[in-house]
Amino acid sequence: MAKPKQAGPVTPRPGVPNDDVSFDGLAPGVCRIATSAGVALLAVSVGLGATEGDGFRRFLHSYLVAFMYVLSLGLGALWWVTLQHLVGARWSVVVRRIGELLASSMPALAVLSLPIIASVLLESDRLFPWVDPSFMQSQSALAAKRPYLNPGFFVARWAIYFSFWTALGYWLLRCSLAQDATGGTGPLDGARKVSPLAMIGFAITATCASVDYIMTLDPTWYSTVFGVYYFAGCVIAIHSAMVLIVVFLQHRGRLTRSVTPHHFHDLGKMMFAFTVFWAYIAFSQLLLVWYANLPEETVWYRVRSQGSWFFVAVVLVIGHFGLPFFGLLSRHAKRHRASLSFWAGWLLVLHFVDLYFLIMPTFYPGGVSWRVPDLTTWLGLLALFVADVARRARGRNLVPSRDPRLAESLAFENS
Amino acid sequence: MTATPVSPYQGRPGGENVFARITENVARIAEAPRPPPAWYVAFGISVALLLIFISNLALVAWFGVGLWGTMHPVAWGFPIVNFVFWIGIGHAGTLISAILYLLRQDWRTAISRFAEAMTVFALVCAVVFPGIHVGRPWVSYWMLPYPNQMGMWPQFRSPLEWDLFAVGTYATVSVMFWYLGMVPDFATLRNRAAGPVRRVAYGIAAMGWRGSSRQWHRYERAYLLLAALATPLVLSVHSVVAFDFATSQLPGWHSTIFPPYFVAGAIFGGFAMVVTLVVPARQFFGLASLIQIRHLELMNKIILATGMLVGYAYAMEFFIAWYSGVTFEQFAFVNRAFGPYAWAYWTMILCNLAAPQVFWWKAARTNVWVSLAVGIIVNVGMWFERFVIICTSLSRDFLPSSWGYFVPTAYDYLTLAGSFGLFFTLFLLFCRYLPMVAMAEVKATQPSARVR
Repeated sequence: MAKPKQAGPVTPRPGVPNDDVSFDGLAPGVCRIATSAGVALLAVSVGLGATEGDGFRRFLHSYLVAFMYVLSLGLGALWWVTLQHLVGARWSVVVRRIGELLASSMPALAVLSLPIIASVLLESDRLFPWVDPSFMQSQSALAAKRPYLNPGFFVARWAIYFSFWTALGYWLLRCSLAQDATGGTGPLDGARKVSPLAMIGFAITATCASVDYIMTLDPTWYSTVFGVYYFAGCVIAIHSAMVLIVVFLQHRGRLTRSVTPHHFHDLGKMMFAFTVFWAYIAFSQLLLVWYANLPEETVWYRVRSQGSWFFVAVVLVIGHFGLPFFGLLSRHAKRHRASLSFWAGWLLVLHFVDLYFLIMPTFYPGGVSWRVPDLTTWLGLLALFVADVARRARGRNLVPSRDPRLAESLAFENS
Repeated sequence: MTATPVSPYQGRPGGENVFARITENVARIAEAPRPPPAWYVAFGISVALLLIFISNLALVAWFGVGLWGTMHPVAWGFPIVNFVFWIGIGHAGTLISAILYLLRQDWRTAISRFAEAMTVFALVCAVVFPGIHVGRPWVSYWMLPYPNQMGMWPQFRSPLEWDLFAVGTYATVSVMFWYLGMVPDFATLRNRAAGPVRRVAYGIAAMGWRGSSRQWHRYERAYLLLAALATPLVLSVHSVVAFDFATSQLPGWHSTIFPPYFVAGAIFGGFAMVVTLVVPARQFFGLASLIQIRHLELMNKIILATGMLVGYAYAMEFFIAWYSGVTFEQFAFVNRAFGPYAWAYWTMILCNLAAPQVFWWKAARTNVWVSLAVGIIVNVGMWFERFVIICTSLSRDFLPSSWGYFVPTAYDYLTLAGSFGLFFTLFLLFCRYLPMVAMAEVKATQPSARVR
């Protein structure tokens, strides 16, 4: 099972008995395939975007959906790792490193966000109509939003978000890697101590980011629960992604003994719980907007309940809640890799549909206007995200092997 | 905790045998011929308040709701504030017995019985208020959908009607949860009973519990299923209460974050009430070895965390009110903070946001008196939160010519105070006659119970 490592690092890395916890053998292949796939898919998207002849307007719409998707994975990971330190979780030690590697992807995500920032800096209204000053003068309610909705403050907020997320992701990974070198709980104290304040910072930045990048697409619309809605999607996405990553690694002979059905069971419980939570938040928002029937609020749902968008809404109700609810309900489904990874993949696809439904109807109120770049941009950014994570995983253990609580996590039993 | 725990099946009862010690510690309270003197003092005060409550309700039923300060434009005065306050208190019980159970938080066993009892009693207090607020309490049953010759049917499109079913379901499941958990403990009390009256009474309550492995198996399954059923109830009940407000168009009420915000606030207030009750109870009844400082600290952490969630909702409401650019929304929130009810608003902010911040320090979290003080302060704050939401929004809406100012009367205050009498009377009776700590559950979490 365990492969001998040729190019060993300077300090020998203790592993987990009877298990291969190294990514070194896989890293070059994964990096190469993911990078080339990502670049090729993005090239196709840009090429197809150019043929639209609209100055990359359509491409940017696809790009925003794709970016909010990979951002949700990064933010979900950041939240998840912070939470594990905040509550002192022990079951999750075996999968914590994977979360940390995902959470430290913020510099790459900042680079990927540049087309969106560029569209604002170049004063183009391709994405955000509020960039256009004449539009903002058209209604008195909009004119009042100028202090928030202007390119300067928008970019300043972007800088704050990504500095904070980058610093947090880096710090969480660094504390954990320091533990690999020295052992003991000491190195993790740093992560544990920042976790409460980091959680507060995360709540503020993630909420504002979801407002900035999705809600302001329609500058007249507002909803106080919107940040929570996006957050629910992030949490579903990160747990599903971790399931798929672990299943892939086990398929390649890694972590086969470290991650047991008991850990999958817990990941599945979280997927299930937040699927219900997502439905709860989505339903609450819909019900309250529908019931009060205020014009400035219902316009958002009016667009999304007409024409072919209505069918997307139905797909979300059934696919993002109904089917996974019953699919993940049983203990059996959560403990078996085949069924759990099926639902993980399912939820990751439906999460894309959800973001598509949040973003696209604002641009295309007439109905679904599907283009190939919608798919290729999404898969391209996802591949680049995977490449970035795989690159960072090289030369590092996939399990924090000297965490004193590891033995407890390895022996963890889920009744 | 010793390195090698003594087997639960060995040792002298009351000696090193940890199981016997737990039984002795809890059961002796219900078996003692007299409760501690403090109990009599507390019970006397509670019953006096309860009498005030009953007489006030009788006066309102006789003379009508004109006795209250409730008047246009504030048609939802104290009764609805009190209703939402008491409903919220109950949430900690369901959270502890359902969600913390599913999350494998073993520490919950020490406080779960308390919290569940508190949930049931808080619900009793809560349902009184909509019953009298309708003005003619003798026809409160009209809220129920039943076939009648009047051709009358409830308005199912009203969230107030949804409340009836949400609260009804919640009450049913809470009582079942509470009772199911007590069955093994009733059997313990039955087995230890000295006289025939106690033996028969606890024996009936124990429903033939013999502690066989088959019974335990069924019990565990039932408990798990009830926990899974009760978990959505933690969210649904206060979400429906939030719908009562948020489905309207009133600025300050109509906000999409209301359902999760109300749930977070309810858990926040509920845990504060658990702390408020647990600290004196463990002191007077000598339960400090079961309900430890560790448990208090964990509860205080939850109070801090849920307090931050409530703070998030306050902040989000203010931000979106400003961001929306809607004049009425903006006015509603400026009016809250700087209008005629500013005193209530800042009381709420101080109690709910500022006070729990002391729990960032371990010394404060592990101090019983600080915990008790913050628990009481948070309860005051949560009552004021409902007051602020209801009264500031209703008193000043879109049309300045219809503005008003709500002034509660003595009957309002006495009814509020009296509802605490009902709550504490029930709670003190619970402390006297029922197993205050879940003996069987606490035993199962002891190190010596982990037999492999």
